[in-house]
Amino acid sequence: MSSSLQRRFFIFCVAPSLAVLAIITLLPSLYLLVTSFTPLNLTRPETAWDFSDPLISYRQLLTDDRLGNSIWVQIKLSFWTVTLQLAIGVALALLLNIKSRLLEALRTVYLIPMVLPPIVVAIIWKVIYTPDISPMHGIFRSLGWNVPALITNPHWALTSIIIADTWEWFPFTMLMVLAALQMLPQELIDAAKVDGASPWQLTRHVTLPFIQGVLLVAGLFRLIDSIKAFPLIYILTDGGPGSLTEVTNYYSFLQAFNFSYLGFSSAITVVLLAATIVLSWVIIRAVGWGLRVD
Amino acid sequence: MSGFRRRTILKGTLGASFVPLAAPYVSAQGGKPYTGTTINASCFQTTYYEYLKAYFPEFQDKTGIKVNFTMQAFPVYNQRTDLELSTKGSAIDACNITFIYSGRWIGAGWFTPLDTFLKDPKHTPGDWDPDDFVSGAQSQMKNAKGETFAFTHEAGAMLNIASRADLIEKAGLKMPETFDDLIKVCDAIDGKDGVKAFVADKLHHWNWIPYLMGNGGNVFKDPPTNLTPTFASPEGIASADWYANLLMKYGPDGQLSYSDDQAMRAQMSGRANMRTQALTWGVPLVKDPESKVSKTTRFALMPAGPKGNFPGSNSHGLGIPAGSKKKEAAWEFIKWALSKEMISRIVEKHGYPAVCRTSVIKSPKFKEVMTLNGQDVAALYLEVLQLGGKTGYMKYRTVPVYPQIGDKINRAIDKITTKQQAAPEAMKQAQAEAIQDLQKAGFKVDQG
Repeated sequence: MSSSLQRRFFIFCVAPSLAVLAIITLLPSLYLLVTSFTPLNLTRPETAWDFSDPLISYRQLLTDDRLGNSIWVQIKLSFWTVTLQLAIGVALALLLNIKSRLLEALRTVYLIPMVLPPIVVAIIWKVIYTPDISPMHGIFRSLGWNVPALITNPHWALTSIIIADTWEWFPFTMLMVLAALQMLPQELIDAAKVDGASPWQLTRHVTLPFIQGVLLVAGLFRLIDSIKAFPLIYILTDGGPGSLTEVTNYYSFLQAFNFSYLGFSSAITVVLLAATIVLSWVIIRAVGWGLRVD
Repeated sequence: MSGFRRRTILKGTLGASFVPLAAPYVSAQGGKPYTGTTINASCFQTTYYEYLKAYFPEFQDKTGIKVNFTMQAFPVYNQRTDLELSTKGSAIDACNITFIYSGRWIGAGWFTPLDTFLKDPKHTPGDWDPDDFVSGAQSQMKNAKGETFAFTHEAGAMLNIASRADLIEKAGLKMPETFDDLIKVCDAIDGKDGVKAFVADKLHHWNWIPYLMGNGGNVFKDPPTNLTPTFASPEGIASADWYANLLMKYGPDGQLSYSDDQAMRAQMSGRANMRTQALTWGVPLVKDPESKVSKTTRFALMPAGPKGNFPGSNSHGLGIPAGSKKKEAAWEFIKWALSKEMISRIVEKHGYPAVCRTSVIKSPKFKEVMTLNGQDVAALYLEVLQLGGKTGYMKYRTVPVYPQIGDKINRAIDKITTKQQAAPEAMKQAQAEAIQDLQKAGFKVDQG
């Protein structure tokens, strides 16, 4: 078979998948982009295809202080949740990477938060954070500690979201790292041990470089997911108190579905999408995919 | 003149020629011209339609119309319906017009004016009596031209509800009548028996406004015609500060995240005492079997401020979306669901408290149902609804942009209560954001 015929056959095979992908992902994204150039307001149908001032929503973004605040909240939330989830996930994966029946059972237990529906996770934490019914507050009270309601306390509100999000998603990192650790060739470890490497040196110079690619993928997944944070904020704090836990994604939701400003919300989402793509690219360039063992 | 007569006669002849065609259809269905018709109706979760569902077979027997009725949680219903209505689609034939969305949904032309049905005796018999609906509740369901878009099935009237009135009596005081009294009572009873003196849910844009108005402030300059925000006026700032202090000093920890239901549970379990909120949230304190305060709950009018008493009142109505293709069948349903007979039956059988028909509210049965711990709460309820209708001070809440302006108010009160910002700073910032929002929505605001 000639190479051009082979190429045509290949295109013929992938074309249906690409077409479906285009309809499912590209068309809505394109519509989002088009909408962002209109002042679309659901209560004013005449604004639907009004391109008379295509940059109006983008200009409004620049003067919107609450959006600026939401980006800062987003940065703090993403930084802490991704960092904690990676750290706890790696630490637990290293601990659980030992052949033992007990630890195998523990692995399953640790996966529970991740497989729960996000709304259920949010409700669990709502109970934990509501002083009147919270077992946590009950314990603190019995110890004589008066702990304030965390989700309505300005000093703790964001931290309480970070704790809940970390609890929900560290198992994801743990699972990925554990899978990678089980692929780690025994020869590498043996060779390092022969060279007199200490456990710390083994982790630092053999294990971590080996799982670097997996960590990057896990980190990217978690970063992208943290930008999409919604159920915890919706159920626990509604973005408050004030706007202390209002991330950009949530702010965009409010603009579209509570206030009907679909054009403005689309502009926020387009910027958010662009920022996510750029950020992912920068991270991949900076960190690299890690050690490859064939 | 003669031309007019000729045209009238011609029209009459033409109309008459269709009568024989229509008549057999009706009689062939045994007086049920809608046999085989199914309508889709929806509302947020509310007890009225929970109770009414049991009677749907009666309606189907009577008219031949089958009703698919769905209910969702309040915010879910509002979001879904907002989107559905904006498409002007025909998926829903009758649905609830939520109070805070009434201005937006009616103003955008998403509902059908019902006046044509009301004026036509073929569609609406005289004894259905549309004027029987309480004017204060019904005013939110009309546009500026006075056209009616829905009839109300549920009304909320804000009262001061004390779950542990015994503590107030023990302190030698009575239910507060003014804002100053409220603070005095809170000071005297806070923490007694482990009960916090006051509780509120997180919707400050509903709970705080009567305090704002009582101090001489307002949300907008002259709603619905002039929507220039005025809640950061000196009166507004002072009132916001006062209200935040009320929450902070006398409310339970964590109440800023309380939903309506959570605040009610705090009262019901005897953890919090007074709450200024719609009566619907007070009745379960007396009637719910789980309530620990059923014997000690008392009701009073909302305390008055130096500038008067402005208790919140609201109402939700049943209307017909503009895109419905089964408007006549939908009207049949509304007429049946909100008839005097049906509402009376629901009151008698289930003790439904949020009635909007005056004749039912004044009936002995309603009075009996709403006599709670020896108090005639029905009279208080009617007084609040009529107060709202008289001066129209609740108009601020039905303007199309209220959801976004309310959001600014919520966040500002949150910031003051948690000491993130001082009252002047928080209110001025919220007002500036509100102006920005109004301009985004295409409204003009006064400069300066």
